[in-house]
Amino acid sequence: MTDVTRRLSRSAAAASLVLLAPCAAVAQTPAELLRRVDANMTITTAHARAEMVIRYRGGDVRTLRYESWARGTDEAFLEFTAPARDAGSRFLRLGDAMWIFLPRVGKSVRIQGHMLRQGFMGSDFSYGDASENPSMVNDYDAVIERRDTVDGRPTMVLTLTARRANLSYPRRRTWVDVERWVPLREELFAGSGRLLKTVALSDVRRLGDRWYPFRMELDDALQTETTTTFRVLEMRLGVAVPPEVFTLRYLEGGR
Amino acid sequence: MSRARSRIPLVRLAARNALRHTRRSALTAAAIAVAVMALVFFQSYIRGVVDDLLDTYARTESGHVRIRREGYAAREHFLPAHLNLRDVTELVSEVARDPEVRDVVPRIRAFVLVDGAASNRPGLVLGVDLAREAGYLRPAGMVAAGRLPAPDRAEALVGERFAEKLMVGVGDSLTLLSQTAYRSLGGLRVEVAGIARTGVSYLDASLVVLPLGQAQVLLDLEGGATELVVFAREPEGADSLAAALGARLGSRMGPLEIRSWREQGPLVHLTDLIGVMIGAVMLLLFGMASLVIVNTMLMTVLERKREYATQAALGMRRGDLVRQVVMEAAVIGLAGALAGAVAGSAVALWLERVGLDFTSASRTLELPFESIVHPDWRLGPALGMALAGMVVAGIAAVVPAWRVARQPPAEALRG
Repeated sequence: MTDVTRRLSRSAAAASLVLLAPCAAVAQTPAELLRRVDANMTITTAHARAEMVIRYRGGDVRTLRYESWARGTDEAFLEFTAPARDAGSRFLRLGDAMWIFLPRVGKSVRIQGHMLRQGFMGSDFSYGDASENPSMVNDYDAVIERRDTVDGRPTMVLTLTARRANLSYPRRRTWVDVERWVPLREELFAGSGRLLKTVALSDVRRLGDRWYPFRMELDDALQTETTTTFRVLEMRLGVAVPPEVFTLRYLEGGR
Repeated sequence: MSRARSRIPLVRLAARNALRHTRRSALTAAAIAVAVMALVFFQSYIRGVVDDLLDTYARTESGHVRIRREGYAAREHFLPAHLNLRDVTELVSEVARDPEVRDVVPRIRAFVLVDGAASNRPGLVLGVDLAREAGYLRPAGMVAAGRLPAPDRAEALVGERFAEKLMVGVGDSLTLLSQTAYRSLGGLRVEVAGIARTGVSYLDASLVVLPLGQAQVLLDLEGGATELVVFAREPEGADSLAAALGARLGSRMGPLEIRSWREQGPLVHLTDLIGVMIGAVMLLLFGMASLVIVNTMLMTVLERKREYATQAALGMRRGDLVRQVVMEAAVIGLAGALAGAVAGSAVALWLERVGLDFTSASRTLELPFESIVHPDWRLGPALGMALAGMVVAGIAAVVPAWRVARQPPAEALRG
């Protein structure tokens, strides 16, 4: 599974791995809904190839391809493979901490401070989005707002309010597919109520016993310059990933 | 009539009268002296501050005209490297052809994440041609320790307080990360060649000066820059120079944003208000001094009521009586104003030499403002203030003088 997509999906309450729940015909309480979404995020291991397409207002399009490995929810490794200019740039996430390795620099650097607010490789997805790891059920209080339909799918609209102060998005509104337990749309708000980002997930495919969104569009409402689309090209779950992949030594030395 | 008036030695009479009650005259003179002294110093100080602001702003930020890619100003707070000037050589030569251009220097400005010994912090990279910037950014003058970076090596000059925060010194290495001209992530490892003390608080706390070529490597911007900073022969003509450069360059060099320093922010406009501020302070100080003068001159004319009545009875015209009193105040005012101008000039000249250190206060200022201010004393404005002091003293004496002139001589002699 692509770590970027998965991190974004989770941080945007758009869970990218959703368990196919046979008894999911009825949405119980909001907390139960969130618990199902959170449960879908729990994987053992995953490997994915994906692409990130950044469209600029002026008409330019930048396409980056990457390969990622993940174990559980706290360990992920990602390497860009194209274009040549970005190939070899790697990222490692361990819990909430994130490091970058650029071949030209030859040294890993932890991403923190103002850098967390910057767009991941220039996209609408920030490094902060990638490193934050909230648990929907533990970190948010949810209220069911209404039922709705997204792309012909029945959804439940939930309003989420953060329980702790240091989350990037203190408020969210999420449209959860009540048959596949996949979030299909999300609006992310600041504490002031200002809309920060919108996320739309689509191309939901069955992957083993889960449903997974293979396409995600992201728009940062504070900058009108770009929109970003993530597209999963290939994904395998339950693959063998050597534990040394998730180390700084591996980040700096590569395979 | 005019010949008769000219026979009255008003100045001599005024000078003699001024010396009749020295303590009272001294009080009048002191009021003017204090006002003139304060104004001479204040004017020099403000001129020093404004010159410092404008000079530092032009040298480190705006130039007199700045040329950037169209749309840059609207996104300036991101310092977007993708809005850049590619291959600036031709553009520099074209701009330099304008006879009003004194010099033009390419610069790269970018936000970076700087990874030091113990932590990483956001910083500001200025990529400059170190040799050409000798008279502008003045990198050599910034070096507090170590040396300037070599133009062809991955070396940096780091702001003094920034180096402290990063816990690095001369010889240590830093990793810089920044968004490139292609909007991806670029990086560069550099060695700290020197520590910079710019005197500008926010620069000392964030600046990393790189040779232009190294900044181009960091941003993947070979041969390019993010801005051309133009220095005019006459800074006052910056607006017309910007227009002329716009006409000269047209759209041949791609869509550009050519702005004079007045168009780049409110700072230059704000300094235009300084004259108004000095005027207001002048009014206030001279107003207060005038109250003292009116009082002392009223005491004088009351004391000499019979004397003025006698002069009137002997045929002195009302106008001459008024002129006599006004002249006396002006003579006292002149003495006070000269003393005040000398004292104010002495203080201003001394501080111009030693400077006023605002280092601790300026740490919180995000202004292009060097923390040691040198007042800028000039003879003309100091003499102008002295003259103004004398005139104010004379004007303040008009009310008491008018009272003398309106007094019937017979009544005054009886009283």
